[in-house]
Amino acid sequence: MVSESCGNPSVETEAIMTRRPKYDKSKFCIKCKLNSGAIIVRHAVYCKECFPALLSYKVKRILEPQINPKPELSRKKSLKASGNLLVGFSGGLGSTVLLDLISRIYLSHRTEIKEEGVTKSRGGKDHPRNEPVWKMVSVCYVEVASGFPGMTDKTQKIHQLLQENYESLEFIPIRLENAFDLSWWDKVGGKAALDVNTDLTSDELFVSTALNSPDSDSVQKLRSYISALPTRTAIESAIHTLIRILLLYTARSTQSSHLLLGTSLTSISIKLISSISQGGGFSVREEAQEEWNPDSKGAVRLIRPLQEITLKECSMWAWWNDLLVVGKEKYPRGKDGIEALTKEFIIGLERDYPSTVSTIARTCAKLAPKVDAAGLCILCERPLQPAVQEWKSQISIRATKEPSPPSHSSDPSSVLHSLTSYLCYSCHTTLSSRSSKGVSRNSSNTSLPLPVWASTHLQGLLVDVAITDMQPDLKEADEEIWLSHKVNPDEMKEAIGEFLLE
Amino acid sequence: MPPKTCALCENAKAILKRPKTGQQICKDCFFYVFETEVHNTITQANLFARGDRVAIGASGGKDSTVLAYVLKTLNERYHYGLHLFLLSIDEGITGYRDDSLETVKRNQQQYDMPLKILSYDELYGWTMDRIVSQIGKKNNCTFCGVFRRQALDRGAAVLNVDHIVTGHNADDIAETVLMNIMRGDIARLGRCTSIVTQGEDTIKRSKPFKYAYEKEIVMYAYFKKLDYFSTECIYSPDAYRGHARTFLKDLEAARPSAIIDIIHSGEAFEIREEIKATQKIQQTCKRCGYMSSNDLCKACTLLEGLERGMASSGITDRARKKLDAEGPLPENLRTIPFYQPPSGNPNPTITIES
Repeated sequence: MVSESCGNPSVETEAIMTRRPKYDKSKFCIKCKLNSGAIIVRHAVYCKECFPALLSYKVKRILEPQINPKPELSRKKSLKASGNLLVGFSGGLGSTVLLDLISRIYLSHRTEIKEEGVTKSRGGKDHPRNEPVWKMVSVCYVEVASGFPGMTDKTQKIHQLLQENYESLEFIPIRLENAFDLSWWDKVGGKAALDVNTDLTSDELFVSTALNSPDSDSVQKLRSYISALPTRTAIESAIHTLIRILLLYTARSTQSSHLLLGTSLTSISIKLISSISQGGGFSVREEAQEEWNPDSKGAVRLIRPLQEITLKECSMWAWWNDLLVVGKEKYPRGKDGIEALTKEFIIGLERDYPSTVSTIARTCAKLAPKVDAAGLCILCERPLQPAVQEWKSQISIRATKEPSPPSHSSDPSSVLHSLTSYLCYSCHTTLSSRSSKGVSRNSSNTSLPLPVWASTHLQGLLVDVAITDMQPDLKEADEEIWLSHKVNPDEMKEAIGEFLLE
Repeated sequence: MPPKTCALCENAKAILKRPKTGQQICKDCFFYVFETEVHNTITQANLFARGDRVAIGASGGKDSTVLAYVLKTLNERYHYGLHLFLLSIDEGITGYRDDSLETVKRNQQQYDMPLKILSYDELYGWTMDRIVSQIGKKNNCTFCGVFRRQALDRGAAVLNVDHIVTGHNADDIAETVLMNIMRGDIARLGRCTSIVTQGEDTIKRSKPFKYAYEKEIVMYAYFKKLDYFSTECIYSPDAYRGHARTFLKDLEAARPSAIIDIIHSGEAFEIREEIKATQKIQQTCKRCGYMSSNDLCKACTLLEGLERGMASSGITDRARKKLDAEGPLPENLRTIPFYQPPSGNPNPTITIES
C-alpha cells in the first residue's frame, strides 16, 4: 500500500528526525538492558554488574596498545611487555582504584579462586601456563612528609594496606628526600655528582658547588629546596616533578618497562590546564603519557590508564568494592597555588557544563609541539623547547643598561654558570617566578639545592661546553669544571636590591 | 620608609610596580618599556611595510584609545611611514556604544586621523538590542562577534586599507586560549595566538598589544591622561568567556606571569597533522562573497535565522536542519551586500604567521 504521507515536515511534525534520546531518562542498563541502572556515566546508564566491564574496557583501551615494545593497535598479537611493571601508589582514590583494576585484569592468575570452600585453579586466559604480561609487578610509594614538619608519615599504613590486599606484589617505599640522596642515586644506577646549589635571586639562576660536607642530610636539603621556592605554585609543581622523576628512576632500577599512575580524567584535565597556565604547552602530550629514556639506558613508558575514567566513576568503584582509600594530605604551603585554583575552577565549571573535563582532555590530545625538542630539561627531564630565554627577553624589557658583571674573586678564570639555558619554560618560571605580593618566602633562603639527577645532567653538559670552549685547564678533571666563589654581601645586595623596601 | 629608586634608570623615584615584571620603576621608564615592547613586537613580527594604510579598530575603550596613541607615537618616532585611520563599529547597544563613539570622535580630532563609523543597522538591518530581544541573552556574543568581524573588514574595504589592527591585549589572548581548550574549539585554538592572520580574500589583521598586559594599558592611559570610555557590555555577564576571565584573574593574582605563560603555551603547540587533514578548508560565501568554511558564511546564516524568526539556526545544527526543512530563502528577505576586498591590493596568499 502506498504511503499517503508526503514527508513534508511543515505538515507532518513526525517527519522531522526525532532527537536522539538521552539515556539517563531510562531506568535500565544500556549494556544488558535487563537490570536497573545504578550509575549514570555521561548520559549512559549502567547497572552494578555491567560497570566493571566498562571500566576494564576503558583501562585496556589506553594501556594495551602500549604494552608491547612496539606500540600497536592490533589485538591479534599477544601482550608481552619487555620488562616488569611498577605501579605508582599515592594512597589517593585514583591510585587505589588503579591498583585494584590492574590486579583484577592482569594479575588474577597469581591467585587461586576459592569457591564453595574448594580451591580451584584458574583456566582459560588466566591459566597459569599462559605467560603473564609482566614477570614482576611492584608498587612504589613516595613519602613526602619529611619535607613539611608536622605532616604525617603514612608509609607504615600503606605498607599494611598493601600487604593485606596485594601480598604477591613487592612494596617499594621511597622518600621525597631521596632526590637529594647520593646513596639512593647510586643504588638506582645514577652517575656520581657534586652537590650543586642555584641562586634564585637572579633570573640567570647562577650555580655553585655547595659548601656543605659530602654527608649532609638529604632531609635538610629537601626542606631547604622547598623553603627556597618562590611561590606556592612553585611548591606544588616542584614536588610533582620530584615524585615523577623518583618513580621513573625506581622503575628503571626494577627493570620495569612500564610505570602506571592513577590519574583520572578529572585530574588529567586539571593538570593540563594547570600546566598550560604555567607555560608547559610544549609538553602537553607528556601530561597524558610519556616515553622516558634520558640517557638511553632503557626506556620506561609512563602511562595513565585511568585517563578516560572520571573521578565519579572511581569513587563508585571504590565504594562498591569496599576499597580502603588511605587518602593524600595536602601540602601545608601548597594551597592557593595555580593547581589548587585550577581544580576549584574546573570542578565548578563541570557542574554547569558537564562535558568540560572530557573536552579539555580530548582537545589537548589533538595538540602537538610546533618544533622539535632541543634535548631534555635537566630538572623535569621533559622535552626542552629551544630558544626559551630569547623569547622571554623579547617579551619583557627588564633592564635598560648593560648589567654590570658580578664581582669576581681574585681568580681571573672564575666563571659563573647559569642554569637557565638547561631548563624548560615551566621549570625556569617555577624557579624565577614572583608572587604578586613580592617575596613570599618565610625564610630568607634563596639558595636552592639541585636534585641529584639535575646535578649529574648539568655536570655532563658543562663538561661538553668546557671542551667545546677549548679551555685546556678545564679539560683535565671533572672537578675542575666547577669554579665557584663566595658571594659577598655587596654582590648579594646588588642582586636583590629591587626587592628591598629599605 | 625612604623612597625607592627606579629599577631601570636607577635615578628617579620609583612610583609604580609593573604588573608584568613586578619591577618598581618611574613613570618615564614605564612609558619607555611599554612603548618599546610594542615597537619590538611590531618589528620582530614584521607587521608593517612603509606606505601601508592601517585601520585601527577603535571602540573608544582603553585598548583602542591607547593603541591609536601608541601607534601614532611610534609611527613618528621610528618613521614607520604608515597612513593611520580610525575605524569604528556601532553595534546598536543603547547606552554602551553611544558614549564610546563620542570618545572615538574626540580621538579623531586629537590624533588627526580620518574616521569611518559603520553600523550593524546600516549593514545588516539589525541592532544588537533588537537581536537580543529576539534571541535572549545566551549566544548573543556569537552574533555580535561574527557581525563585527565582517563589519570591520567591510569598513576597511571602504577606506581601502591594507591592514587592520585591533587592541587585543595579552589578557584577551590568554582568555581565548583557555576558552578554546575548554570548549574544544580546535580550529580557533590553532589560530588564536597568531599575531597576524590573513586569508585569501580578507584583509591582514594584527594585534600589536599581544604581549601587553591589560593592567599596563590602563596604567599607561592613566599616566598619559588619555581619555577613554570604560563600559562593560550589558549582554556579556552570561558569556562563557566570563568564566575564563574570572579564572585568569585568579591565576594572575597567584602568579603575575601566568598571562604570558599561557600565551607561551598557546604558541608552543599546534594541531596534530592527522587532525589538520580533517579541518574544513576555507571557501567563499555563496551569498555575500565573504570568507567562509561552509557554503554560507556565519554572518549570512545568522542573519537568515534572524530574518526568518529562527535565530538559533546559526547556533545549533538541529535548528539549522529545521530551517532548511522550511524551504529555500524567500526572495524579498534582506541579505548582506556582496563583499569586495580593497581594490588595487594584490594580496598574495600568506599562511598564518605567528
